[in-house]
Amino acid sequence: MLKKKEKLSILAAALLMIFAVAPVSNAMHVMEGFLPVSHCILWIVICIPFLVIGVLNIKKLLDNNRKTLTILALTGAFVFVLSSLKIPSVTGSCSHMTGTGLGAMLFGPCITSILGIIVLVFQAILLAHGGLTTLGANCFSMAIAGPILSYLIYKALKKANVNKKVTVFLAACLGDLFTYCVTSFELAIAYPSEVGGIGASMVKFLGVFATTQVPLAIIEGVLTVIIVIGLETYAKDELKSLNF
Amino acid sequence: MNQIMIGLLLVMAAGMFAHGLWKSRKHHHHYQGIGHKHGGSVLSVDYYAYASHMRKWNATFKVIFSMICLLLCLIFNNIYVSLAVILIMGYMAVVIGGLEFDHYISMMMIPIVFLLFGSAAIAVGFSWDPIGEYNLSVFGLFYIYCSKASLWKAAGLIFKALGAVSALYMMTLTTPLSELIVVLRKAHLPKVIIELMNMIYRYIFIMLDTHSRMKNSAESRLGYVDFRTSCYSFGQVASNLLIVSLKRGTDYYNALESRCYNGDLMFLEEEKPMKKTQVVGAAAVVALLIVIKLGA
Amino acid sequence: METSVVREQPILKVENIHFTYNGEKKALDGVNLDIYEGERIAVLGSNGAGKSTFFLNINGVLKSEEGQIFYRGEKITKKNLNHLRKNVGIVFQDADNQIIASTVMAEVSFGPMNLKLPREEVVRRVDKALEYMNISDFKERPPHYLSGGEKKRVSIADIIAMESEIIIFDEPTAALDPQNAAMLEEVLAKMGKEGRTLLISTHDVDFAYRWAERVIVFCDGKIIADDTPLNVFKQEDILERANLKHPMMFDIYDILKENHVVPDEERYPKNISEFRNLIGQIQSQ
Repeated sequence: MLKKKEKLSILAAALLMIFAVAPVSNAMHVMEGFLPVSHCILWIVICIPFLVIGVLNIKKLLDNNRKTLTILALTGAFVFVLSSLKIPSVTGSCSHMTGTGLGAMLFGPCITSILGIIVLVFQAILLAHGGLTTLGANCFSMAIAGPILSYLIYKALKKANVNKKVTVFLAACLGDLFTYCVTSFELAIAYPSEVGGIGASMVKFLGVFATTQVPLAIIEGVLTVIIVIGLETYAKDELKSLNF
Repeated sequence: MNQIMIGLLLVMAAGMFAHGLWKSRKHHHHYQGIGHKHGGSVLSVDYYAYASHMRKWNATFKVIFSMICLLLCLIFNNIYVSLAVILIMGYMAVVIGGLEFDHYISMMMIPIVFLLFGSAAIAVGFSWDPIGEYNLSVFGLFYIYCSKASLWKAAGLIFKALGAVSALYMMTLTTPLSELIVVLRKAHLPKVIIELMNMIYRYIFIMLDTHSRMKNSAESRLGYVDFRTSCYSFGQVASNLLIVSLKRGTDYYNALESRCYNGDLMFLEEEKPMKKTQVVGAAAVVALLIVIKLGA
Repeated sequence: METSVVREQPILKVENIHFTYNGEKKALDGVNLDIYEGERIAVLGSNGAGKSTFFLNINGVLKSEEGQIFYRGEKITKKNLNHLRKNVGIVFQDADNQIIASTVMAEVSFGPMNLKLPREEVVRRVDKALEYMNISDFKERPPHYLSGGEKKRVSIADIIAMESEIIIFDEPTAALDPQNAAMLEEVLAKMGKEGRTLLISTHDVDFAYRWAERVIVFCDGKIIADDTPLNVFKQEDILERANLKHPMMFDIYDILKENHVVPDEERYPKNISEFRNLIGQIQSQ
């Protein structure tokens, strides 16, 4: 028994080591093959109404002015490029932004959902982040739930006349954290604990990814603020046309 | 039964390995014919896809085949099926597709970290009592426990996920995204999404180029000298990138219209017919996977 | 009586067009121009003088507030706008702004596909255009793995495939290395020989002088000169207003003239070989 315990403490130490230095880049995405088929279908079905609304919204926008098409495409490309860039970090690990909070603040959640799912497909194919069968789950957490929360926070704080930097920071940062909570939930219902069920499992997933996701969310918030300040300084006119 | 399975897989692996060796003696793996990247950063998957020898294959066929293998992996949830898929897909990407083995392995490393974390979370549990077969007390407060069953579950999950990933890779490493978009168009996705995908794909590379120029210029002025400055430069470069791109938007649209674009993005596509041998081979693979599942 | 005019009807007739970008300064302020078949026209003028705006207007992408455009005598309205876009092709300054597809073949096919041509015709035109620009080998490559010069060639093949009657090049040599600039000039010479109608905007007066048979100078949204290269470059006031220099050959000839090496005839050589002939003739006299 003692021997077993010893072995296990070594294992645990090793795990802790991984947690401490892990260069997790894409923990926000649920990886290809990680969800059972039934869950893959479930999340896609949940996403469909949001996506239909998104497509209808974009169609309306384009009927008004077809030239918006290139602007939308450029924004989509921007979110992808942003998410493919290594962000600065203290430990030298390699992490990425989601960029969808920024998208939601600039374009609203409907359009962001469509751009988001396209970006997710591109990430799965070009960056090997996430996957195609897990697209529904990733889309819900990253392109729907997170952006909606970011958008709501942004609108509410803007109305309450809170400092713009604080508003943008909170919207981006909390949106990011919410995305990560939703992802953990998605994993938890797919793999409930033997003891304690979904709740315990969710705590586990939250705990495992917390080391990387919480600092990331803060960095994402800071970077989003810097980006928004840059946009406000140099592209006031462009932003006005986007109703920012 | 297990021995038979393992034996079968070993024979398969040996055969594929031998074919790979024989092929690599005939001609060296070179990414010929697509030129070099001129400055800027490269998205490796994209580069490999254009250079793949399997690019000549019919894209719809590759998509359907890889998706069938992926789904079989998930549905069968069987470690031998997963192993067979990993082997066959790797063989296709590396030996038939001509991708260098090192590159393939480094691609496979991308999901590994998520897998380690995710399956660790599944393998272990927290409890007030030492209920697992392996238990670790934390400050005498609670126990981290782990059972043989949960370890097996985690191991099965790792192989299942790796199988699924390798099936996805077989598709993405041999088929350029532009051809995948054509497949999606044939599947009748909304037109506006297809148009956006086409444009986004093109603009990504223009933006990556612009970004690498901006980043170099920031770097040359010590913009990444420490963490604080790095954050600031990162944000500045990113916002600049968006501004510059949005300002170009009208130019892009004008250029489209000047060639009679009328709201319908259409391109000539090369017809790549399916070959009989490919279809037969794919059917054999699917049959093999089913046999393995039934046998196990 | 009309038959007394030597030249036939212009391909493109531009009458008094005005254009303003969203309420700001006038970009085009009453431009008139006739373009005839087979002309090689260089368009000069500083940045912001209205060259690019003019091109987008005669291609039908921008719609002038005032004035008319006639294509082969037919007035252009909203209905036959595509007629103009089809027959006046623009090779944009930055190939990256123009290229939209993700393989060279798809890219070159974009114009012909928009013209709703049958597939065989599209294939024929694409192959022909790629061969013309000597890029048939690149057919399957994506534009993002091409060099600047290669992208430029693709962007020219784009327009060749549309079989436009008039081809406009907007500052084609900008951002090209010397080798690619030479390639471009070869292509332009080839097109000139084939009798294609070409308009090229450029800041390179030497090029304009040796290549063009007609030079147009834009300044503040107006055409301030429209004549043979020789006549345009002789007008000091025009050059000053448009911030242009003399072509090198002009200055050399003038220096030789001052030093009485060459006679005071206006035999300005267009290029080095003409210059060599001139000197050879003088020496043999």
